[in-house]
Amino acid sequence: MLFGDKGGRRLFAVPVLVWLVACAPVPPEKRSSRGTSEFRFVDVAAEAGLTRVLWAGRPDKDHLLDSAGTGAGWLDYDRDGWLDVYLVNGWRLSGDEVLERGRNALYRNLGDGTFEDVTDRAGVDGGGLWGSGVAVADYDDDGWPDLLVTNFGPTRLYRNLGDGTFEDVAREVGIEAPDWNTGAAFFDADGDGDLDLYVAAYIEATIEQVLSTTPTLDWKGVDKVAFGPFGLTGASDRFFLRLDDGTFREATDEVGMRDRARGFGFGVRAADFDLDGDLDLYVANDSDANYLYRNDGDGTFTDTGLWSGAAFDVNGAAQAGMGVALGDVNRDLLPDLFVTNFAEDFSTLYVGEGDGFFRDASDGSGVGAATFVPLSWGTVMADLDNDGDHDIVIANGHIYPQVDRHPQFGMTYAQRNQLLENGGNGHFTEAGDRAGPGFEPALSSRGIAAADYDNDGDLDLLITALDEPPTLLRNDSVGGGWLTVEPRVPAGGGGVVGTRVVVTVGERRMSGDVSSGGSFLSVHDPRVHFGLGSAGRVDRVEVLWPDGSTSVETDVPGNRFLVVEKSP
Amino acid sequence: MKRVLLTGLCVLVMMSGAVDAGMDATATPRPLVDTYDSLADTILAAKKTEWNLVHSILGGTYSHAEGVLAQAVSKIEAGQDASAEVERVAALVAQLGNEGDASVAAVRKRLLEGGHHHNAAGEEQGIYDDGFVIVTRASKKALLDVSKRIAKLGKSATVDSLNAEWDKVKKEFGKMHAGTPMGH
Repeated sequence: MLFGDKGGRRLFAVPVLVWLVACAPVPPEKRSSRGTSEFRFVDVAAEAGLTRVLWAGRPDKDHLLDSAGTGAGWLDYDRDGWLDVYLVNGWRLSGDEVLERGRNALYRNLGDGTFEDVTDRAGVDGGGLWGSGVAVADYDDDGWPDLLVTNFGPTRLYRNLGDGTFEDVAREVGIEAPDWNTGAAFFDADGDGDLDLYVAAYIEATIEQVLSTTPTLDWKGVDKVAFGPFGLTGASDRFFLRLDDGTFREATDEVGMRDRARGFGFGVRAADFDLDGDLDLYVANDSDANYLYRNDGDGTFTDTGLWSGAAFDVNGAAQAGMGVALGDVNRDLLPDLFVTNFAEDFSTLYVGEGDGFFRDASDGSGVGAATFVPLSWGTVMADLDNDGDHDIVIANGHIYPQVDRHPQFGMTYAQRNQLLENGGNGHFTEAGDRAGPGFEPALSSRGIAAADYDNDGDLDLLITALDEPPTLLRNDSVGGGWLTVEPRVPAGGGGVVGTRVVVTVGERRMSGDVSSGGSFLSVHDPRVHFGLGSAGRVDRVEVLWPDGSTSVETDVPGNRFLVVEKSP
Repeated sequence: MKRVLLTGLCVLVMMSGAVDAGMDATATPRPLVDTYDSLADTILAAKKTEWNLVHSILGGTYSHAEGVLAQAVSKIEAGQDASAEVERVAALVAQLGNEGDASVAAVRKRLLEGGHHHNAAGEEQGIYDDGFVIVTRASKKALLDVSKRIAKLGKSATVDSLNAEWDKVKKEFGKMHAGTPMGH
């Protein structure tokens, strides 16, 4: 079912403004002559000016907060057509001493491959809090993207004032909720045209406990490592309903999202998983059943995780969910989920079966074997080589530096990130070792966010790692054609979060959506990117707006940005 | 814990006198053995209590599901939409596999950390006592699979299709009650 018609919503074509932004033609050297992918990623973070070190507690990672890491996000905060970078930072500790309260960073994309640090001018340094994640959305529908930053402590909501500066309005609008907050997503939960908010939380802890802790958990009988999360109390996730006066009200219980399992929440992704026309929500929980909150169409939700196939692995076991990605690995237009997990356990590919049901296809898809050893976090399902299918990228890194003292277990603290190439049929093979120098280094990586920052038609990767500056992997792969669709809604029109785009290229149909948060504590490009393979044109582009209306364009040339603006 | 340490201390003081009185110097002091024996009663009683409680949760969930199933069947036979009831049956069957709903899972998480647990999660990690696992990994998977199939039936559920799936639930539920741990 492509178009939903639940709850009396009617689909209708709406007037739209459409324009094509022609980019420089894809240079011949970026086109594959063999029809096969030639991945190449190069880390250009330092030369681009992304140098902020992202601190993560103590060297030995005595507490789980030391090793959870932070997220990264893409947003065009100044609306100049170039995506800017936001990085969330932690603290640097020595024992119980705070050596440095890391500052978050906003880097403005100058459009020439470099970035300018505008953090101070913009007023978004995080205020000295130990940061976790970031979500991006125009929460107040004024046409400017805003920044939500989760922390070990009160959440910040940086409202974009449209003049290059932001103001923190979290307290004013009622979403501070001091806790160890992690993944977050804005989405229109009740279909009233404004954005509501879900914020996941990890464990209950105080900063005094964090500072005074020492490793006490026995690891394989050979070492002591950070304790938890078992034995610690999970912190409750929260749902905030946007009110007409612009503030939010916590409505977790009343909408059916009470965190009864006190799950150790990390990755959050809102999307229309059952394609019934409203937005559902998925929460990856560490060591607990994952939640799949189905939107029942009346502003309430039912957790269908246990019986939809999306809560556990194929054996019915809870895994240590960290990050989550949405995509369509087999091009059947049904949303698929990829959830990253702990070391010595596979990350899980949940293939959509329709109507919100999923099956664990990790084993047969090649994903299971490829992901069993590393400890995995941020993730992206996207077409990295523009060949017309979704590949998977995974940020890896252990939480225990102590593993390096025991090589007999075959694990390392620093790990290489992974690129799993889709063979076009939903079967994946490791491609990281032929993906250029960008995939060679081993770090303890965490967040990952994909975006076409240089507007050259392919997706680049921004990755955070513990106690390191970020990595920016410029995509220099040789691949096929592309089309990037940028849905736009004028201020006051409800925004674009949740917009779904479906393109038809010959017999192939592909879909993508606009989200405000996902991966591990991170945010991807707000535009919807499609690889076209050898096709030079797209037969049909359908934009399914959050209000249920649809815009259709036909015979669209490729290698372009297609802006589709919904009329008020 | 403090009480145990105090008892131990007292016993150590008494031991010197015991040796003098001609007791076996290598024997574990009797008061300590008695205290441990008493503690064992408490531990075993707690295990029995947990075992009974889990069975009560499972029994209650099963009965609840059975009742909702009957409602679904009635509606289907009357030509009415029974999709809500079918989904509730699916949810309850999933809860059987999960030994309760999410709030029970929160308790189970604490028990697992204590190395004391009855169910599939403990079995997965090798933290369980033989004879005390009620919902095994195999049962859990079977029940989750059945719950998904029931949920998928949705509006198209028939009395026959529902009963066919329910037979599998009955079978798994029967296995849970097939054996009791020693002493029960």
